[in-house]
Amino acid sequence: MEEEAEAEEQQRFSYQQRLKAAVHYTVGCLCEEVALDKGMQFSRQTIAAISELTFRQCENFAKDLEMFARHARRTTINTEDVKLLARRSDSLLKYITDKSEEITHINLERKARKKKKSEDGNHNSRELAEAGVVESEQ
Amino acid sequence: MADHDPDSDSTPRTLLRRVLDTADPRTPRRPRSARAGAQRRALLETASSRRSSSQTKMTTRRHSHGARSISRSAYVQASGHLKEQTPRTLLKNILLTAPESSILMPKSVVKPVPAPQVVQPSRRESSLGSLELQLPELEPPTTLAPGLLAPGRRKQRLRLSMFQQGVDQGLPLSQEPQRNADASSLTSSLNLTFATPLQPQSVQRPGLARRPPARRAVDVGAFLQDLRDTSLAPPNIVLEDTQPFSQPTVGCSPRVYRSPPCMPHTGAEDTELAAGCKKRSSGPGMQTNSPEKLAQFLAGEAEEVDAFALDFLSTSSGVSGEDGVEPLQDGVEEAEKRMEEEGVSVSEMEATGAQGPSRAEEPEGHTEVTEAEESQGTAEAKGPGASSGDEDASDRAARPELVSSTPESLQARRHHQFLEPDPPPGAAVLSSEPAEPLLVRRPPRPGTTGPRPQQDPHKAGLSHYVKFFSFYAKMPMERKALEMVEKCLDKYFQHLCDDLEVFAAHAGRKTVKPEDVELLMRRQGLVTDQVSLHVLVERYLPLEYRQLLIPCASSGNSVFPAQ
Repeated sequence: MEEEAEAEEQQRFSYQQRLKAAVHYTVGCLCEEVALDKGMQFSRQTIAAISELTFRQCENFAKDLEMFARHARRTTINTEDVKLLARRSDSLLKYITDKSEEITHINLERKARKKKKSEDGNHNSRELAEAGVVESEQ
Repeated sequence: MADHDPDSDSTPRTLLRRVLDTADPRTPRRPRSARAGAQRRALLETASSRRSSSQTKMTTRRHSHGARSISRSAYVQASGHLKEQTPRTLLKNILLTAPESSILMPKSVVKPVPAPQVVQPSRRESSLGSLELQLPELEPPTTLAPGLLAPGRRKQRLRLSMFQQGVDQGLPLSQEPQRNADASSLTSSLNLTFATPLQPQSVQRPGLARRPPARRAVDVGAFLQDLRDTSLAPPNIVLEDTQPFSQPTVGCSPRVYRSPPCMPHTGAEDTELAAGCKKRSSGPGMQTNSPEKLAQFLAGEAEEVDAFALDFLSTSSGVSGEDGVEPLQDGVEEAEKRMEEEGVSVSEMEATGAQGPSRAEEPEGHTEVTEAEESQGTAEAKGPGASSGDEDASDRAARPELVSSTPESLQARRHHQFLEPDPPPGAAVLSSEPAEPLLVRRPPRPGTTGPRPQQDPHKAGLSHYVKFFSFYAKMPMERKALEMVEKCLDKYFQHLCDDLEVFAAHAGRKTVKPEDVELLMRRQGLVTDQVSLHVLVERYLPLEYRQLLIPCASSGNSVFPAQ
């Protein structure tokens, strides 16, 4: 049992390391872009610090999101939870709100389009029924 | 026999015990004057002889049990005399209800003995036989004193006269020792014994017992006059607007630390407030009320404001929120009163025409919130504006209103966090703020909400924390530093309340519930998987709050507080 726990621990740790590496790589790419943009160089320690910071902050975000979802008596994390998370920073909140609106809009459109396609491919009666359904959905 | 420790504490309690032990339970004591002297003397004589005897069940039980509480209950069971209105039963009731500890110094055995005698007749008269009799108990002895004095010695006579004085004046216990000090040394100790009957009531509330009676009674006439005057003038809410950091007033500080239950604490505070207000409002010709009047007015208003605050809260936060707030309110009331007084006094001073009711609302909403101890929103009513002129009053009125409406309910929830960490609470502002912010706090329209009001009204409560901060810093601090601390605290509390509001909205609610507070604390890292909210409650809050916050099952399948 202890060995299993240890093995699991090891697995989790290695998984975490992989994730950290991925984050580090992404942060490095972003920093390169910014460096090119601003004409300043980023030292390795800076990139490492930023990536560590990002990783830990992601952990915090995850915990907070879970808490928010549970607080709203839900089991799935919602865009509302994400918005709640980002409320501190105005610009970030605005950005996320816009994005979320965009996403919901896209989803609605996609649904409508799917419904329409299925209607075209069916009989009239089915079309009518589905149209009714689509309308009700919308 | 260890029945009454004559050596250790010859307190009135022991004396009464002795009297009860020795007195004949069946003796009807209706005709007191005739029997008073004789009876007492008989009691005295028999007391010593009977001490060692265990004649009655009560006596034996009392002796056998060490604990007085146990003996008390046994006493009750044993004695069927409670129905009879005898001195014995009355004394018994007193003993049962009186707190265990005796504050007075132990005196010689002889001197305290007469005390029960004096007490007995008074007890006889009172049907309650409880501690509430403080004043009524005192009165009868005065009438009986002459009867007692006849057989009594010179000492007794002196003692009784002092006692009578105290009774006549109805002064609190603390004053008696003062008067006693004036008397000769012989009588002083005796006077103390007379004072002891007053002890039980004050002992129950030790916070009141020792407090020096430096309070002035509220002048009802002046208060009403002030009410009329102030209600006429237009609300001068603008005052607080541009007074972010007014100079602290020395007078305000003591107010903050006063314990709440003492309603009459306004006297001293009011004087301080008045003094502070005078300084501040010297420039602008605020109200014509004299500071003293204001103080008195505030003192009286504080109580009224409580009622207003409750109403206001309910309107702003909804009924459900009120439930949660109520437990706070008891504790909150203290701060409320404090803040109200401060705010009201300031507002009175500042605003020429503060609406009385509106103002009253503000303070209470704010005070309640403030009590939550983090609430800075409402506290702002106390805001700094004392020195500022009337111009701010109107703006402030809007602000505090907004602030009070929403943050109030949120802040009321903060009781969980009032131990929290805000690092050194410091609000230098409070001292200067007192009245104005209160004025602003309660604009006449409780329902309206608008952009979040400015900070001034909130600062009133922050100064409380700034004082803590400066105290714990243990070194002198610049005023700028204190102002900075206050600003930080203000922002901190704003954030907290915003978070609470958002959390409540996130859960689809309009009232802030303890779950929201718990979520906030979790985010702060105070509540973790290892440390739950209940643990923190137990660790930091006083026992009364624990009972209110942590549901506990009691007999009969009932849970308190009701879920």
